[in-house]
Amino acid sequence: MSLWVDQYRPRSLEDLHYHHELSTRLRSLASLASSGDFPHMLFYGPSGAGKKTRITCTLKKLFGPGVEKLKIDQRVFLSPSRRKLEVNIVQSNFHIEITPSEAGNYDRVVIQELLKEIAQTQQVDLNAKQRFKVVIINEADSLSRDAQAALRRTMEKFMSNMRIILCANSTSRLIAPIKSRCLLMRVAAPNAEDMQAVMQHVSKRVGFDLPPDVASKIIDDSSGNLRKAILCLEALKMQSPDLSGVLTIAKPDWETYCHKVADLIISEQSPARIMEVRQKFYELLSHCIPPATILKTVADRVVERVDDAIKADVMHWAAVYEVRMRIGSKKIYHLEAWVVKVMSLYKHFFYGMDLTEFD
Amino acid sequence: MAPPKNAKPAPGGRAITAFFKASPNSSQTSQPCSQSSALEPNKRGMLGASQSKTSIAQASTSKMQDVIMVDDSDGEPPIQQVTKPRQSALLSSSEDESPQKKVVATAPSRSAAHGSTNSKPKPRASLPAKMEPDSEERPRVQKRKKPSAPILSSEDEVARKLSPPKKKAAVINGSSSKPKARASLPAKSRAVDDDDFEMVSSDEDAPIISKTKSKASARKELVDDDSEPAQKAKVKPRASVQKTVKRKVEDDESKVIGKGKTETQEEKKPNWAAMKAAKARGPVAPGSKTVPDGEDNCLLGLSFVFTGEMSSFSRDEAIDIAKRFGGRVVGQPSSKTNYVVLGEDAGPSKLKAIEKHGLKTLNEDQFLNLIATRKGSGKALDEKTKKKMEKEQDAIKAAAKEMEKIEKKAMEEADSGAGSSKAVDPSTQLWTTRYAPKSMKDICGNKSAVEKLELWLKDWPQSYKANFKKPGKNGMNMYRAVLISGSPGIGKTTSAHLCAKLAGYTPIELNASDTRSKKLVENGMNINNKSLDSFITGGGSASNSVGSMITDRTCLIMDEVDGMSAGDRGGVGALNALIKKSKIPIICIANDRQAQKLKPLISTTFSLPFSKPQASMIRSRILSIAYREKMKIPANVIDQLIAGAQSDIRQVLNILSTVKLQSDSLTFDEGKELSKMNEKYTIMSPFDLTSKILGPYLFSHTARETLGDKMELYFQDHSFVPLFIQENYLRTEPAKIRNEQGPEKELKRLMLMDQAASSISDGDLVDGMIHGPEQHWSLMPLHAVCSTIRPASFIYGTGAHYGGPNSMSFPQWLGQNSKQNKLSRQLSDVQVRMRLKVSGDKNEIRQSYIPALHPHVVRPLVEEGSSAVDEIIHRMDEYYLSKEDWDTIVELGVGEQKDELVLKKVSAATKTAFTRKYNSSEHPIPFHKATDLGKAPKKLAAEQVPDLEEAFDFDEIVEDASDDEKNDQDAEDIKHDRLIQTSKKKGATVKGKAKK
Repeated sequence: MSLWVDQYRPRSLEDLHYHHELSTRLRSLASLASSGDFPHMLFYGPSGAGKKTRITCTLKKLFGPGVEKLKIDQRVFLSPSRRKLEVNIVQSNFHIEITPSEAGNYDRVVIQELLKEIAQTQQVDLNAKQRFKVVIINEADSLSRDAQAALRRTMEKFMSNMRIILCANSTSRLIAPIKSRCLLMRVAAPNAEDMQAVMQHVSKRVGFDLPPDVASKIIDDSSGNLRKAILCLEALKMQSPDLSGVLTIAKPDWETYCHKVADLIISEQSPARIMEVRQKFYELLSHCIPPATILKTVADRVVERVDDAIKADVMHWAAVYEVRMRIGSKKIYHLEAWVVKVMSLYKHFFYGMDLTEFD
Repeated sequence: MAPPKNAKPAPGGRAITAFFKASPNSSQTSQPCSQSSALEPNKRGMLGASQSKTSIAQASTSKMQDVIMVDDSDGEPPIQQVTKPRQSALLSSSEDESPQKKVVATAPSRSAAHGSTNSKPKPRASLPAKMEPDSEERPRVQKRKKPSAPILSSEDEVARKLSPPKKKAAVINGSSSKPKARASLPAKSRAVDDDDFEMVSSDEDAPIISKTKSKASARKELVDDDSEPAQKAKVKPRASVQKTVKRKVEDDESKVIGKGKTETQEEKKPNWAAMKAAKARGPVAPGSKTVPDGEDNCLLGLSFVFTGEMSSFSRDEAIDIAKRFGGRVVGQPSSKTNYVVLGEDAGPSKLKAIEKHGLKTLNEDQFLNLIATRKGSGKALDEKTKKKMEKEQDAIKAAAKEMEKIEKKAMEEADSGAGSSKAVDPSTQLWTTRYAPKSMKDICGNKSAVEKLELWLKDWPQSYKANFKKPGKNGMNMYRAVLISGSPGIGKTTSAHLCAKLAGYTPIELNASDTRSKKLVENGMNINNKSLDSFITGGGSASNSVGSMITDRTCLIMDEVDGMSAGDRGGVGALNALIKKSKIPIICIANDRQAQKLKPLISTTFSLPFSKPQASMIRSRILSIAYREKMKIPANVIDQLIAGAQSDIRQVLNILSTVKLQSDSLTFDEGKELSKMNEKYTIMSPFDLTSKILGPYLFSHTARETLGDKMELYFQDHSFVPLFIQENYLRTEPAKIRNEQGPEKELKRLMLMDQAASSISDGDLVDGMIHGPEQHWSLMPLHAVCSTIRPASFIYGTGAHYGGPNSMSFPQWLGQNSKQNKLSRQLSDVQVRMRLKVSGDKNEIRQSYIPALHPHVVRPLVEEGSSAVDEIIHRMDEYYLSKEDWDTIVELGVGEQKDELVLKKVSAATKTAFTRKYNSSEHPIPFHKATDLGKAPKKLAAEQVPDLEEAFDFDEIVEDASDDEKNDQDAEDIKHDRLIQTSKKKGATVKGKAKK
């Protein structure tokens, strides 16, 4: 059987537990769609808030249960330098879902070729409820500028055949022309009550009673990520089936590891220690933990443990180096620069030195 | 008094000479100020700064005239007062480490000077002669006092701004403040006109002495000064100047030696005395020490070892100095070492050696003193060395004579013998041909290799008869061919030809100028020619494409085999085939034996590596050639040329023949410049580069490398060097915190590392712009600075990385990055498979699902063993995960869940059970990869065979599975495929087992 999070995922707009207003709007949009009045959409919000769930629900409303029959295809594109790019495509009869960021720097090629191809053909299925097909673009915020530019014209030109649904974590990295062509749908992270309700629902479906304090503990820990909360609930349930006594929520492996790094930074400041930390960063990076997440987790932990006086500085430099990390290519350099900075700050503070040099 | 108009700004030296003529002796002291500032910059080539400076100086001279007119009337005592503090300030200031400090230190002295001059009344009076030594000093003092001062002090500012390379600063200061030396010693300065700063700045000390000395000497100097300008004006054609001047200097010096250390001597040869005076006055002044004009070859016969870092010279400079004066510099102290020059932080092992051998040690000043005082040209040598040297000289002469003889003989032979156009006048030949070795003993270096070659050639007919079965003395007789390898210009081709001739062979040479394609090598060589051609042309011997006769006494020299390039397709292969059946000896010559292209030759040829000969081996030969050409070149210059050319004899000869066109002699510095000009571009390995960049010398205050030089290091390997720097920058013991203690040291260290790290971070941003979508390649220099030079400038110093062979680590980034890419690819595979069930993206899968799945699909194997297999496989099928994806999930764990830790806990039996169970059952597949459909099964089997004990069973299972998959497809194809696959697989299995 699947994990609970997948098993008890709502399948229609009616089943959704929170953001009812949004659901209503989506419902009305979908019902209007037959008159051809369905816009391009941009769903954005933090992960684990329910963007994808809402998209699938909307699709189901649009096209009926046929959209749930998914198949995966692999397409090969040729980059300008004749390199082969493999892109996985998830599709049903009515929609297609792509993740152009899989192609890295060549996402533009994918957008140009694939989208045009889809856009230039009409819906073949005569029984389809809608005349148009839907293209879902995942991780739209990691699209390169070129790719976004390539998307602009396509979105207008082929409106009759196709609608695009973008799915992103934030709109900040999308260019304005794209944003203006889409109906923006913000899927905010659920609040504590919403999450509580969802978790109670899940536990009821599974068939056990969830003590509210356990639920709130999990909610505290998952910071608005419902996926994380439900996965956590399942893990906890597996750990101690009766959910009583003192429960410790097991942190994911990488998070514990990040905390360990933070402790290393606090406990000693020396070149040897920096190299140790570097090693650990490499370990995390190579195991596919995104550098921004690493920095955030480690910085949070460091801030927890240092004196109030330098908390602001630590966070300031974390922010500075996160920006640099996004611009630069070798993430470890910036992570390490931050670590050295923090170590130096910490040590200077420890000896009561003047910190003005760090401004 | 010189009228101010004379000093009006006018370009170049003309103004100066005019100035000279016009000015009477009293104002003459101020001239050099402008003169030197006008000349010096040109000399040093710092033109940018010099332009403005010169004009300012010239503009200022007019002011100075006034000043002098007013001021020279000052009483003597105050002047004495003025100069003394100033002088000491100069000394003490230059001793300070940093230029900033220097400024600070000189400032008070100026104010002191101010005070004293201010307090003086200024009656107008004519210039007394004894004021002379100080008069040039005073304008400086006066400058600050006068309302018109800004211009002048700005000049000083310029000088100070230029000061960071301390040496220069010192020179500028010296020359502008005490220019008289230049005037009094024009001969010397002319003679060394092209010299670098040491020689020039040596003049600087002169005034110091003159000031400290008695009036008598001052007067004498005045006399000198008077005569000097005239002399200078006279001597214009440079060549003649040099000669006359030299003679004059020599005369002077011989006189000096005769007299001993009298005052007059000090005057003529003031430098070392200046040093003494300076020492007496206070501590020595690092950064401003100058090299005394020692006599030529004054260090002849002495051997030196330098250790530690000296305060005012970099190591290279010090070595240069020693060599310039004929000394020998060796790396390690031994009992034969005469002196060890100790600097700061001398190496402990060397110190031990000093103690052990009881060697004499010198500090920097003593070293300079030695140069200044020791008598030159072997006068101070003991009999033994003298004899040895004489012997050497004789040998050189004899060799030169012999050369001449041989040449003559050859000429005669050519004239009488052929009578044809063959006779070539040797003087029209290139030196490299003219002085090519004519006999075995002429070959420099590689004696044993040449002997081996000779022996092999001699034995070749016998070896051929024995069908190359008898190894012979060197094991060479098993081969039909040899491969000579070595760097260019060390006599490979020459030796090959010579050996062949001496062994009685007629060499045929094919080099890169001949086409050497497969066809040509096969047909053109005609070595086994049995065609009618030879009968028709008669005379039993065949001729080949090169046009020479092939006999059994022919030897083929394939020169530049590694140069067989695109046009010579298949050439090496054909050559190799030829070697295998050759009936004549073949000598192949290449530069790089390791070249990929030469792989086929490795097994068929005997490798004969030629190494670069030592300088001592080449020296005598070059010396005799020089003698023969009537060139006067000291041995130390030759040594330097050889070192510069990296023992490339050909290049040294070429350099000399070029020099010969212009002059008959070569000084040390000219030689240095020449060898620098002809410097070979050596490519250092990233390891060497990194330890140079991070090492203590590149950024030390005595280093002379410019920013450009440092950047050059980056550009030697711009992709690797930044990675190496990043990897190793934390391993140094920064020189900047050497003198700190305790917590401050740690704090400072962290600060430095912070600066370095943020600079590296900057570098990455620049790199992003270079390699990003916009490709701003013009930012490369900026990248060099940000990623390499700036970080190194903070944390340079000794460290584990310095010196040791494996103390520096290879950048992890490369490995880690490719690991990241690999795992990231695997993760996207997992994500795609799970996509049908899971909405999350890759990061969500990694951060939430994998930790959540871990207890379901991995931990049971650890805790329950094989009984959990069913449950796990069920769970995996739910998410369409394959066995490979399971591996990925395990591999992606960190910390507690690190793959090694986890896999260690799973027993081998469980693993096998899991694998077998998984493979025996059917699994839902979300999709087929396009690439999988073609050839996958074979590959899979081949990969997994070595992993499993029951390889055979396993293979069958795989087959079943693949059959199931393929049954849906074309039946005929499958049959065909299966047949092929089974047979192949069995083969593979057998192999796999055999390996075990």
